[in-house]
Amino acid sequence: MAVFLAQIVNGISLGSVYVLLVTGFNLLLLVAMIIHYSFPIVVVFSMYISWIVLGLTGGNMFLGLSAGIVSAVLINILTAPMFQHIMKKRGDVDINSTMVLSMGIGMIITDFLSHSVNSGFPIAFPDSLTGRGEPAFIRLGVISMSRGDMLSLTLGIIFVLGLFWILYKTRAGRAFRAIAEDPNGAKLVGIPILKTGLQSYALTGLLGGVSAVAMSILLGSASPGLGDQLGRKVLAVSIIAGLGNLKGGLIVGISLGILEALVQGYWSGTWSNSIAFVVMLIAILVKPKGIFGMKL
Amino acid sequence: MNKSGETILSVENLFVSYGHVEALKGVSLEVKRGEIVVLVGSNGAGKTSIMETILGVNQTRKGRIIFEGREITNLSSDKIVRSGIFLVPEGRGVFSSMSVLDNLLLGAHHNLKNAKEKTAYVYELFPVLGQRRNQIAGTLSGGERQMLSIARALMSNPKMIMVDEPSIGLAPKIVNDIFKILQNLNKEGYAILLSEQNVYKALKLADRGYVLETGSVVLDGTSEGLLHNTDIRKAYLGA
Ligand SMILES: Nc1ncnc2c1ncn2[C@@H]1O[C@H](COP(=O)(O)OP(=O)(O)OP(=O)(O)O)[C@@H](O)[C@H]1O
Ligand SMILES: [Mg+2]
Repeated sequence: MAVFLAQIVNGISLGSVYVLLVTGFNLLLLVAMIIHYSFPIVVVFSMYISWIVLGLTGGNMFLGLSAGIVSAVLINILTAPMFQHIMKKRGDVDINSTMVLSMGIGMIITDFLSHSVNSGFPIAFPDSLTGRGEPAFIRLGVISMSRGDMLSLTLGIIFVLGLFWILYKTRAGRAFRAIAEDPNGAKLVGIPILKTGLQSYALTGLLGGVSAVAMSILLGSASPGLGDQLGRKVLAVSIIAGLGNLKGGLIVGISLGILEALVQGYWSGTWSNSIAFVVMLIAILVKPKGIFGMKL
Repeated sequence: MNKSGETILSVENLFVSYGHVEALKGVSLEVKRGEIVVLVGSNGAGKTSIMETILGVNQTRKGRIIFEGREITNLSSDKIVRSGIFLVPEGRGVFSSMSVLDNLLLGAHHNLKNAKEKTAYVYELFPVLGQRRNQIAGTLSGGERQMLSIARALMSNPKMIMVDEPSIGLAPKIVNDIFKILQNLNKEGYAILLSEQNVYKALKLADRGYVLETGSVVLDGTSEGLLHNTDIRKAYLGA
């Protein structure tokens, strides 16, 4: 029981990171009409930026983490013109071409990380950030959490709630949902499509940055291949929940985190990815259009 | 209301094509402040194309559109909506996955100031929308959706409302209700550009009309005049 509860809590931490990533991916898909497969690779790149800045500033947390967040927003906005070019012509362009562009961006980043940073070796974040090696931060009966776990869980929950608040309670969020349902109809009611698309870029960039911070704390390390691995997971979660289904992504993202944590707790961490994909494979066989239905 | 007043919208010699399809071939028309003007024409005549071009959805190949003395040709749709034109699209164009209230607020996207007062105003006009404000628009009936689409237009502070074939798919009684609503809105001062295949009812409602055939205006005049025109009676009124 102790292991079970502890792993549920760990799973929610991990799951909230997945939710941030999946929601960013879904937003780009729905609002900007981009299949941004490499969105998680950009996030991993931001973890590397944090790590580099931490090294340069002698471990200044604030500067390191801010640099990661800023870089995620910047990359998203800088790559926007390429995607926007496709968006403008979206009548004639197949949305799949955005995926090729995204994969290209991902490949360049992954190559860069494996050649030019830390000689391609995985990077590790300092214990002062992750809270490793410290006594448990809180202990509630059988559950104990480190300071890092606590922090990333809090970040994850706050930002997931904040994100859904933006989507369902604000003017920009309403415009995002309108474009997602019917881009032509959204134009007819006077929503500026390109500008709103850009806002979704900035928001997903911010999400990416926050995910990078949460992952740096939670995972404590990163490698050049991490982005690809997360990219596959995020794509899978989005499809299994129902492509573009925001609430579905929330539920499946958290569930995946819990599933992986349970496998790690009861069996072996090295198998958690494979098992997660077996479960997802079964889910997609049973519900080919996603558990909660496609929104595209 | 003085209907022989100033021109609010003038469309001059408008040409629009979709690829090789020439949809509009030199259309000119006018709407005056306080008027209801109807576009009459069979399927494919170009009614929707005119409205969407006025709204900036389609690029013109030639011609000018002037609204309240300002040229708006080829401006982006969001700017044109800001200037006071709003479209109630063919097929209603409501967002089915969103709530009635969200749909209304989308009409006011460019100006959410006084959104509360504006929603209160449309709930007064359409009590059924007030009762269902939190319901998903996809669950509304056809007539209710048309009301929602008209109410959404009102949320935008329009000076001119374009209504594209509102009677499509509605029972005769509901069509009468909708036409009554348009008439009342017109009395409140909104200029209305209407497109209809229900020619008799539309001409009864409107001040003036334009008859379109394959992208050109073939006839125009007062509703009274058009109702008595023998060609119109033959082609559209089955007389
Ligand atoms: N997106 C498009 N691509 C190609 N051709 C189009 C497009 N939209 C309209 N057309 C063509 O332009 C012409 C005018 O169409 P439009 O929709 O304006 O007619 P309409 O009078 O609104 O007809 P309806 O009463 O059926 O709604 C038609 O020949 C139509 O086939
Ligand atoms: Mg039409």
